[in-house]
Amino acid sequence: MTSIDVHELTKEYGATRAVDRLSFRVRPGRVTGFLGPNGAGKSTTMRVVLGLDRPTGGSATIGGRPYARQTEPLRTVGALLDAQAAHGSRTPRSHLSSLAASNGIPMSRVRTVLEETGLGDVGARRIKSFSLGMRQRLGLAAALLGDPQVVMLDEPSNGLDPEGIIWIRELMKRLAREGRTVLVSSHLMNETASFADHLVVLGRGRLLVDMPMKDFLDSRSRPRVRLRTAEPRRLHSALASKGLTGIQAEDGRWVIDGVTAEAIGAIAAHERIHLLELADERATLEQAYLDLTADDTPFAASTTRDRQET
Amino acid sequence: MTLTAVLHSEWIKIRSIRSIYGSLIAVLATTLIITVLVLGTVGQEQAEQAGADAVLNAFFALSFGQIAAVVFGATAVSSEFLNGALRVSLAAVPRRSLFYAAKMTAIGGAVLVVGLVTTFTTFLVGQLFLGEHAIGLGHPGVLRAALGGGIHLALMALLAAGLATLLRSAIAVLSLLVPLLLIVPFVLVDVATAVLRYLPDRAGQAVLHQNPVDGPGPWSGLAVTALWAAAALLAGWWAVRNRDA
Repeated sequence: MTSIDVHELTKEYGATRAVDRLSFRVRPGRVTGFLGPNGAGKSTTMRVVLGLDRPTGGSATIGGRPYARQTEPLRTVGALLDAQAAHGSRTPRSHLSSLAASNGIPMSRVRTVLEETGLGDVGARRIKSFSLGMRQRLGLAAALLGDPQVVMLDEPSNGLDPEGIIWIRELMKRLAREGRTVLVSSHLMNETASFADHLVVLGRGRLLVDMPMKDFLDSRSRPRVRLRTAEPRRLHSALASKGLTGIQAEDGRWVIDGVTAEAIGAIAAHERIHLLELADERATLEQAYLDLTADDTPFAASTTRDRQET
Repeated sequence: MTLTAVLHSEWIKIRSIRSIYGSLIAVLATTLIITVLVLGTVGQEQAEQAGADAVLNAFFALSFGQIAAVVFGATAVSSEFLNGALRVSLAAVPRRSLFYAAKMTAIGGAVLVVGLVTTFTTFLVGQLFLGEHAIGLGHPGVLRAALGGGIHLALMALLAAGLATLLRSAIAVLSLLVPLLLIVPFVLVDVATAVLRYLPDRAGQAVLHQNPVDGPGPWSGLAVTALWAAAALLAGWWAVRNRDA
């Protein structure tokens, strides 16, 4: 089993501290979502893990070894950093062949990953004719080339069409099911919510959150209940007697803050009030994330922040 | 990960970008075409002039071919500095000295092979136009010029490749080297001839003369060019080892 271990990692560019004593572990068998505002240090962390940038302090290892010490790194770690990196004059086949050659990967893998990423028919076309989505698929093909135990993807759904987004979501889940270590950075919350099992959230280069997605949502959700009833008046007075107020929305639904469905259900049952619908309203990942990072966004517009506080 | 594997990878990279591979072929094409044009028209007259250097007359066109070699060396490296391509390359080959050594070996080796093919082909084809003035491979200085000319082209490509690694741009390298090769010699010709003879291309081209006058001798001139190339290669190595990608 191969984990990514980031230990007390610090990276400074001149006077700017991009990553600040960051420690976390990415474990195999699940998809870890890597979140944070622009400039939080996600890409820097990924580059240091890949040995591309030298850390100012601390260390990053994969399976206990620094990336540069892996004998044939692409067979252990596959990464997608920037879909534009493949030279436009090359064909997908020559781009992947040059990568396979240096890492002793059989050339048959080139064909396999091209087919797997839906580029089987365009393997001999120039990359410069590709759309962003196709380049993204090629970047994924390069990441999967060495059948690696660890997969690191920076914004993988960039430029993909809806089918592509569903495809990559299923791909990441499958990779995790196969026991691989999957780290995926994204700025799309609903996207991340649809594939991540675990979250690592950065803010200003520091670790804000490292926990299972469900725990994160629970920790950031204030209890709130949504319901519909056939007897609004009776419900209103029943709630008032318990010191609760419901707000009725235009569509007839009620929203009650500070309680769980369990408590409201008990009240309604006791008063024999006819309910048509009753559910806990959970925070979405987006709400939970914005709530968390409101104070840690270096470039947050003041209006966004004001909205957070209301 | 072996040097052979990384060399193979670097060769695929060279082969798969048409403009880069094209400039490698242009080393041969340019030299050959200019030789044929010049020797085919004024070759015999030149040979009859007093003090004519028959060897230099056979190989003079290499100074045009070397521009293609410089372009090849610079662009083969600069393609790595486009849109973060270097990150993909270094993720595949994280041992940076190995990566750099393989890339420079591929560039230098390719130009050496093409350069030797160029010098021999150019010589043999060029002599066809010289009638009674034609010389053979056994003529004094010819073999030396053919071998040395090939090495000179490889050294010029490595000089450009090392600089391109340091400057991360082919444009920067070409705007530095092309004037040095094409313009400076004409501007400085009267002022500082002694200095000129130690510029990278001038020094190496001593090997193309039958009897080099003044300045460094044929092999020592090539050694001077080798020193220039080595300095550029070391600077590039330092940059690859120490910079963040």
